Order: sequence, then C-alpha cells, then structure tokens
Amino acid sequence: MGWRRVNNVLHRDIGYLLVGLTLVYAISGVAVNHVGDFNPNYRTVREEFSFEPFVVTDRVASARILTDRLGLPEPVDAFLPAPGQLLVIYDGWKIEAEPAAGRATSIRLESRPLLHALNRLHLNHLKGAWTWFADLYALLLIFMAISGILVLRGRTGLAGRGKWLVLVGFLFPLLALFMAAISSSS
Amino acid sequence: MRPVFALLIALLIATPALAADFGEDLSDAETVKVSTLLASPDDYVGKTVKIEGRITGVCAHRGCWLEIAGDEDFQSMRIKVEDGVMVFPADAVGSTATAEGVFTKIEITAEQATAVHKAKCEKGEKGEKGCQHEAATEAGVIYQIAGVGAVIDEG
Repeated sequence: MGWRRVNNVLHRDIGYLLVGLTLVYAISGVAVNHVGDFNPNYRTVREEFSFEPFVVTDRVASARILTDRLGLPEPVDAFLPAPGQLLVIYDGWKIEAEPAAGRATSIRLESRPLLHALNRLHLNHLKGAWTWFADLYALLLIFMAISGILVLRGRTGLAGRGKWLVLVGFLFPLLALFMAAISSSS
Repeated sequence: MRPVFALLIALLIATPALAADFGEDLSDAETVKVSTLLASPDDYVGKTVKIEGRITGVCAHRGCWLEIAGDEDFQSMRIKVEDGVMVFPADAVGSTATAEGVFTKIEITAEQATAVHKAKCEKGEKGEKGCQHEAATEAGVIYQIAGVGAVIDEG
C-alpha cells in the first residue's frame, strides 16, 4: 500500500472519529466568540416583586422580614450594599430589594444546558485527563490539515490549484493581524 | 478496537469535578478584612492583598469580575481581571471566595461616573431609587483588586 493510500485511509477514518468533537468546538467557539453580546452558559431572568414596605434595620432581621413577606426559604446570607438597600443571597441567585419602597427583584440564572456542556469541554473546565484528550484532538486536527492537502493529485491537488487555496487560507489571518497591528499603532 | 474504546472510557472516567481554582495559586498570606482596606486604603494601594467573603455578584457576560461582600454593612470589594485571564462562573453567587491581587485605586471624573451610573441604571443594576438622583455621578475614587488568583468554595 503506497503512502498516499495510507494517508487517505487515515484521513478518512480519523475524520469520522473527529466529527463529534469538531462540532463541539465549532458550536462552542461561535458562542464564546460572542460572549460580549450574551452569556453562552446562562440566561439572566429578572422577576419583580411587591411587598408591604418596611424599614431596613440589620441585615439578618431585614432579610427575615423580606423572605417571610415573599414566601421564600431561608437564604444563604444577606447584605446591605447601600443605605436603604437589601441584598438576599441564595445559592446561585439573589434578590435585590428596596424595602422602604416595597420593591424587590430576583435575579436568577437559567442554564443553556447544551451550550453549557459544550463550553465546559471547549474551555477545558473539566481539567485532569480531559486536558490530554483535548491536546490529542488538537494533534489529530493538525494531522487532518496536513493529510488533507495530500489527498488529491494533479490539477486539483496541492501541486495544482490546491496551493493557491492554501495560500489564501494563510493570508486571511495574517492580514487580520497586520490590520490590527496598524490600528493599534496609529 | 476494543482496547481503544476502553482507553477512551477510562480517560473520561478519570476526569475530576469542575475546578474551583482560578488564576495563580494563592499565597500563604493572611487575609485582610475589606473594612480594614477601606479604612486606610492608601496604606494598601499597589500592594498584594488577600480577602475572603461571600460572592454577591459576578460579571454576567465574560466572568471578568467578582463582587465580594465586606465584613461591614455598605462595603464590598470587586475582584477585577482582564477578559479571558480568569472566567468566574456566573452561578458563583452565594459561594464564598478567597481572592488575591493588587489593591488598586481608580480615580474617576464626574463624566466617567455619570456614564457608569447611566449604564448601570439602563441595565437595572441600581434600582429605581438609586437612579433618581444625580448625586451618584460626582467624581470620586473606586478601590478594587486586580485579581491574580481566586478559589471559590463550591461546598
């Protein structure tokens, strides 16, 4: 079996193996790329409440009054961030209240379960052995890139139009870096 | 093929739970109370300090800051990091954290304070009462910690 046949067989079979992870990294990559526009892991949900007003005294007593009036469970903690304001803390969420005005807002997070799971893999939140697994995936991607340009021969291969497409592919990121360097120096 | 699948499964099982350490390892220095920092801030500006406390807020988008409640009322301290250096989980509110970094003084102009105040009001972060008055938009000083490491207790 010649080297090209081996190359093509490996490119095909490793390609099949990498479909799942490539989709993970690509979808998570798009989401994380736009993290300035939205949180890819959670959606923030705010809910307004009204209650009979009261005067804030100490944080513990005030939190007890608020949670009683809103029918909420005992919080993890309570805090007075500013005069007249009360912050009641739960595990992963909180209530911001203005007791004298009888107003409160709960701020909760709703998970985006699929994106959250994909992001945990992409951003290596798992740590440990996953780090090595992700490194292996990266090495196999490098193999796919190099073996891919060697799959075809002749006019449509690397010696033909392939070399121009590879060159264009390198030029885009280089041009982006060049433009960024110019704009930061000006 | 079976040995390959066995190896893959072993690798997945061997992965630990979600890590709660961020950035550099914390030093052995004693923690400082937020009230102590704010009582005499100029004594600490530019120095590395370590604080601990309840997390009351996390940056909703890039996880680039934590707000830790102070030991006294009306006081808190923000641990700020550059985007991407550390990404604090949005659901960390309610957990306790120990964080270390350089205590920093930021002087803001009235225009900057106005812009920050307006942005927070538009996002609903200040409440209706807090957005009624212009007094919050005077020039002032903000103290925060430029974080280098943090540990969030998820227990």
